[in-house]
Amino acid sequence: MSETLTAEQKVIRPPLLNGGHGFKWVSENVSGIIQGKTPIWWWILFFICAPIGGAGMSLLVYQVSTGVGVWGENQPVGWGWDITCFVFWVGIAHAGTLISALLLLTRQKWRTGIGRAAEATTVFALMCGAVYPAVHIGRVWFAWYLAPIPNQYGMWPNFRSALLWDVFAVNAYLSVSAMFWLMGMIPDFATLKTRTSSPWMRRVYHILSCGWTGSAKNWRHYEMAALCLSGLSVALVFAVSSTVSFDFSTSVIPGWHTTIFPPYFVIGAIFAGMCMVLTIFIPLRAAYPQLKDIITLAHVDRMAKLLLMAALLVDYVYTSEFFMAYYGGNPYERHLFLSRYFPEYGPLWFYGRFMLFCNLFLPQLLWIRPIRKNLLLLFIICQFGTVGMWFERFVIIVPPITEDFLPSSWHIYHPTWVEVGTFAGTLGLFFTLVLLFIRFIPIVSIAELKGALPQADPHGEHKTQLTIP
Amino acid sequence: MKRVFHHPEAPKGGKKYWRSSEELSELAQTPEFQQAVEREFPVGAAEFDQDEVSRRHFIKLMGASTALAGLGLAACRRPTLELVPFSNGVEWAIPSKPVFYTSSMPSPRGFIPLVVTTNDGRPTKIEGNPLHAMSNGGTDVFAQASILSLYDPDRAQNFLQNGQLSSEKQFTDYLQQVLPTLAADGGAGLAFVVERNTSPTRERLRDLIATKYPQARWCVYEPLGDDLYRQAAQIGFGDGVLPQPVISKADVIVSLDSDFLNAVEGTPDMARDFSNRRRVEKVGDKMNRLYAVENRFTITGGMADHRLRLPASQIGAFAVALAKKLGDPTLAPLADAINKSVQTAQIPDDWVSALAEDLVAARGRSLVLVGERQPVAVQLLGFGINQVLGNVGATLVGKPLTEKPSVSLASVASDIDDKKITCLVMIGGNPAFNAPVDLNWDKLQDKVSHIIRLGMYVDESSQGAHWHVPAAHYLEAWADGRAVDGSYVSVQPMIMPLFGGWSELDLLAFFAGLPKPKSSELIQDTFKQLAAAANFNDAWVKFLHDGFLAGSAAGERPLFFQTTAAAMYVGEHSSTPALMGEDAYEVVLVPDAKLIDGRYANLGWLQEMPDPVTQLTWDNAAIVSPATAKKLGVREHKVGVEVHDVIEIVFEDQRRLEIVALPVPGHADHSITIALGYGRKAPGYISKGAGVNAYPLRTSAEPYIALGAKVRKTDRTYPLALAQDESHMQGSLFVREATLEQYEKQPNFAQVAGLDAEAVNSVDIYTRPTYNAPNQWGMVVDLNTCTGCNACVIACQAENNIPIVGKEQVLKGRRMHWIRMDRYFASADNDDTNPEMVIEPVMCQHCEAAPCEAVCPVNATVHSDDGLNVMAYNRCIGTRYCANNCPFKVRRFNFFNFNERPIQDHDLYKGPLTPFGMKETLKLQKNPNVTVRMRGVMEKCTFCVQRIEMARIATKVKAGDSDDVTIPVDSFKSACQQACPSEALVFGDIKNPESKVSKLRASDKNYELLKYLNLHTRVTYLARLRNPNPKMPGADQVAGYEWNVKES
Repeated sequence: MSETLTAEQKVIRPPLLNGGHGFKWVSENVSGIIQGKTPIWWWILFFICAPIGGAGMSLLVYQVSTGVGVWGENQPVGWGWDITCFVFWVGIAHAGTLISALLLLTRQKWRTGIGRAAEATTVFALMCGAVYPAVHIGRVWFAWYLAPIPNQYGMWPNFRSALLWDVFAVNAYLSVSAMFWLMGMIPDFATLKTRTSSPWMRRVYHILSCGWTGSAKNWRHYEMAALCLSGLSVALVFAVSSTVSFDFSTSVIPGWHTTIFPPYFVIGAIFAGMCMVLTIFIPLRAAYPQLKDIITLAHVDRMAKLLLMAALLVDYVYTSEFFMAYYGGNPYERHLFLSRYFPEYGPLWFYGRFMLFCNLFLPQLLWIRPIRKNLLLLFIICQFGTVGMWFERFVIIVPPITEDFLPSSWHIYHPTWVEVGTFAGTLGLFFTLVLLFIRFIPIVSIAELKGALPQADPHGEHKTQLTIP
Repeated sequence: MKRVFHHPEAPKGGKKYWRSSEELSELAQTPEFQQAVEREFPVGAAEFDQDEVSRRHFIKLMGASTALAGLGLAACRRPTLELVPFSNGVEWAIPSKPVFYTSSMPSPRGFIPLVVTTNDGRPTKIEGNPLHAMSNGGTDVFAQASILSLYDPDRAQNFLQNGQLSSEKQFTDYLQQVLPTLAADGGAGLAFVVERNTSPTRERLRDLIATKYPQARWCVYEPLGDDLYRQAAQIGFGDGVLPQPVISKADVIVSLDSDFLNAVEGTPDMARDFSNRRRVEKVGDKMNRLYAVENRFTITGGMADHRLRLPASQIGAFAVALAKKLGDPTLAPLADAINKSVQTAQIPDDWVSALAEDLVAARGRSLVLVGERQPVAVQLLGFGINQVLGNVGATLVGKPLTEKPSVSLASVASDIDDKKITCLVMIGGNPAFNAPVDLNWDKLQDKVSHIIRLGMYVDESSQGAHWHVPAAHYLEAWADGRAVDGSYVSVQPMIMPLFGGWSELDLLAFFAGLPKPKSSELIQDTFKQLAAAANFNDAWVKFLHDGFLAGSAAGERPLFFQTTAAAMYVGEHSSTPALMGEDAYEVVLVPDAKLIDGRYANLGWLQEMPDPVTQLTWDNAAIVSPATAKKLGVREHKVGVEVHDVIEIVFEDQRRLEIVALPVPGHADHSITIALGYGRKAPGYISKGAGVNAYPLRTSAEPYIALGAKVRKTDRTYPLALAQDESHMQGSLFVREATLEQYEKQPNFAQVAGLDAEAVNSVDIYTRPTYNAPNQWGMVVDLNTCTGCNACVIACQAENNIPIVGKEQVLKGRRMHWIRMDRYFASADNDDTNPEMVIEPVMCQHCEAAPCEAVCPVNATVHSDDGLNVMAYNRCIGTRYCANNCPFKVRRFNFFNFNERPIQDHDLYKGPLTPFGMKETLKLQKNPNVTVRMRGVMEKCTFCVQRIEMARIATKVKAGDSDDVTIPVDSFKSACQQACPSEALVFGDIKNPESKVSKLRASDKNYELLKYLNLHTRVTYLARLRNPNPKMPGADQVAGYEWNVKES
């Protein structure tokens, strides 16, 4: 096919690894991050994040011992920061899977540089998110009622409840993404095993690499498993996001009860996840200069474009929702949408407006190439995007139940320091896990990156060029 | 001993009243029984000395009370005061089966006839006595809450001498020492200050005391009672007679600042009579018409067909204007006499004209009621107007006044000041807290050498007393009294005094030289005089069984209005006061709808009950109109506003008060209403910190309406816990309302209003489950008769063990009431200064297609076969998803362990660091048939499933092997229904077409809330009707807000 293309039509893609490095460079530099000396900034960040994470998690002890009342929820507003943060973290989790699994399925080789870290954000974000459904309930010690355990009373969970689907979906997602992530690490642990001098670490890596020998048979199974799991993961991204959205869309509350939610949540998740992945990569490139050749500016540019695309989709949903509130003629829904943005209709207008600023207006800057290339600006936009997505979840969840049908029950909700602290705790937990990941696991998939090098393909560059449109 | 079982026969779904069985008295006489009784617990074992009382001790007491009830009544001639442990209980007392006794609750206006439910010897619930003519089984909030006052852990528990722990023995020794010295000069140094009470036994004791101490003073003191009304009645109609309105006969009622539908100023029978005349079942039914002229919204004003807001000080001017319009020469001297000074408020002439015309048209069928807080002159003018309208003798009838004259508190105060009084006996009342400020009562108490105080609490007055005697609750002591209609009613003890308290009669008997009554002997003696029955025993037993003496209601006394005397008094004493200038305000001091004068300040149920109009809990506030608020610069309440501005009120004579201001629509401008009874200084776990004491503004001269206040906003703010933040319906017709005329034109207006008109006819995608039980429960709420009195709210709280949560949590929006009163202000124009007020009780609607059930992940809320939406507390894990998805927001979540942890002082947030466990006495109040919910569990209205089950069990027992397990129609009531004096809540079997609820559901006024959601609610509402006078200005606006019904 390449013969049919003229020279002008031929798109020369930038190489996936800058600097023309070889296999050895990859092994040494990626493993070097783990096997080298722990940098001082790592310790500083670790001792900031870990205590915040620990303190935040210990607030859960307070909450469970004293009552959900230590949070700010009240009679009309049964869910506040807890479910907001849960949906927020689940959203962040999705980008990792999408980048890694979806790009694997579509054979986008540029994923190799960023896949591992993206998957890590998935797993860690899910762990943070899973904190909430587990402890937001009034009687945590009876959470096992959610499990379909056969019993002599014939009592089962309510399979009609979206919350139950949610439990299954998140659990399935967490296990599949963890499996996908850990499985991808097997060849790398084998590499580490050969490189380590400590006999103890060798034993550890031996176990972690599951006796990997690098045989053709190993590789065949490995690649098939990766394909299957990535297929599952992608399906799960859509399923989990949609299921989380069913918590709201299967209800009767105006503003929750809407069919747009499943795609809305998926798109929102991609947007939030992209922001989070960039939030991790941009500083990482600064911290480990050798990564600049692996996570290239081209990667960053592509992710920024994806981010812009996700933002446009999100904006489309906002517009459509607003239009439907007007066009649907439901007075309760109309009131809700007005109260989201206009102070004369309700007290929560700020959240709606700030959400639009972060997710609608700011991402439009990414149309401009110099801004996409400017890592600092990009980083800032991503921060706003992350915050904006948190606001979006808040706006989806809280205002509809603050002011729903009977005005007599309308009541405002304020978070307490306990909720804020718990969320800070999950942030601390997340970044602690990220830091541990940086120190103990190859942040780039060594095996996959090697496979994507020109040297790995004896049949020439044209093939590589053609796979990337 | 061969056991003979005498179980009460199974109730046929209904209830059984007090039983005094012959067999019991026989049984009680058997030596075995008495021996068993004596052996186990000797007399006196029930003395409570400390707060920390063991559970065992309480069980003993419970047993004791059962035995007392049984033995004491059956063998009333030789009352036996023995304690029986519950394990050796008398045969007929079946554990866990409630026993019902009649009694009545003392109230200054007349005793309220009651039926008290006792469970295992402890009274747990109070209902009206439907056998009595003054009751249809309904009650008011105070009767409902009185059960809690019995178990209040803060009640006085000991005899105190100068604040130090003492004993009953020491007290009686002291009295025996002091009394002879008092008797020496005929009791010249002795004064009694008592509460108003219609007890004939008390009158009898008073006479006995008077023979021993002829010089003793007897002062009846009700701080916020109907003294002005009584004074006016005495001037206008002479001694010995008290005019009483007959609401049931009045077609046109004018309330001049009279909140007669509220339990503070009225009685449950007034609400009942009023509602009976409002009930419209079909086209063609007639309604009465109510006009209200008042300065603040009251629930009476909310029920009114026409309402005029006017400063309270200008009500007199209105009465004059009305009198002039009536043009009767009889009224001229009165009106002229009253009309001396300047009138400042605008009284719309066309309003008065139309009103006068309507009144004249309804001669003899109209009624003008003047509020108890209005000056005597205005009261007299009100009587005069009734006189010329021919209402006296028709809708205003005379009732004999049995109470002998007594001296005023002011004269007692001046005698104390002159050191004439050496021994002051204060029974109830709390003058140190609530006497007019110019009496300086708390300083006076230092001038008396012997102060004896009998009180339920060691309150402000007790703190300055030499002796404090713990008072027995009315559920702990024998007494008697007269109901509003003058009938003789009984007061029976349900339980032995928890804290060894003395009743009022015990103390008075001591002064009368009688031994402390062991049982009912005092009452029996009075009964013998009053009943003059041939067979005393039978008559007495029937008296206790029925709760009243049949045929003892007082007959009518003729009323003659003495115009000349009235005009003379008015001419000498009064005038319509003028509001002084633009920046001067009137301050109207009113009894609180929850605490009255402060006596119920320590009752959590009442503190947390939202005021029916302002929705305020746990506080009082200065209520102002929105226009006044704007002028003062204080903020209005809306969703998200949690603190309010504090204003400072200053009078020329330095009386001043800082209090938070709360704007409420429909209030008169230049007028400030403050509820009294808050800001208690006496220790009390509940009352501390609640509100501001406004009594320092109250003088003898201006007890209720104080003029010439200067008001300014301060920089301080104060959080107010309102139960409802949004007062407008936002264009959705949750309360549907029309005029009688519109209803006659389009009877189904309520069914085609609002979104219901747009909604597609009920389409179900899925087949809805059918419910096959023989009974299908449902409820209809008649918005036309519901006054919003809150009796159902408290009844539900008592029946269903609903905890209080404290101000902090109400502020957060976490109150637990299963039934709530939604109050909306409604008008065609949102800026209307005089909107209508509508009240709508909302509880779980028991949707057949319930949104809450679908979303619960653990099936903790499901549907029962008889149509109830039921909660399985044990299964609930507390996701709160159901509450989120409830369109009516009636689900209540236990955010904390409200039952087991202290709720004040931010203690809920201290979790495990605070003491765990409910106060022992409060445990006794709990209904044993209802689970006390723990933290983390969702709860809501169950339609009183425990009552349904009790009726079902009884039916099944009766049915035996037959298949007829249908509970008989209308054989029992839900707690809210039972408490409602207006019969606005009707619960029953909707499957049976004969049931009351089925008939109401078939009404053309019947509508569902949020019908467009296709929920098939089991609770439906009957639309409200108003009956405006077409000639009245603004009559076309009545019930006219957003009334966009589609023509069908």
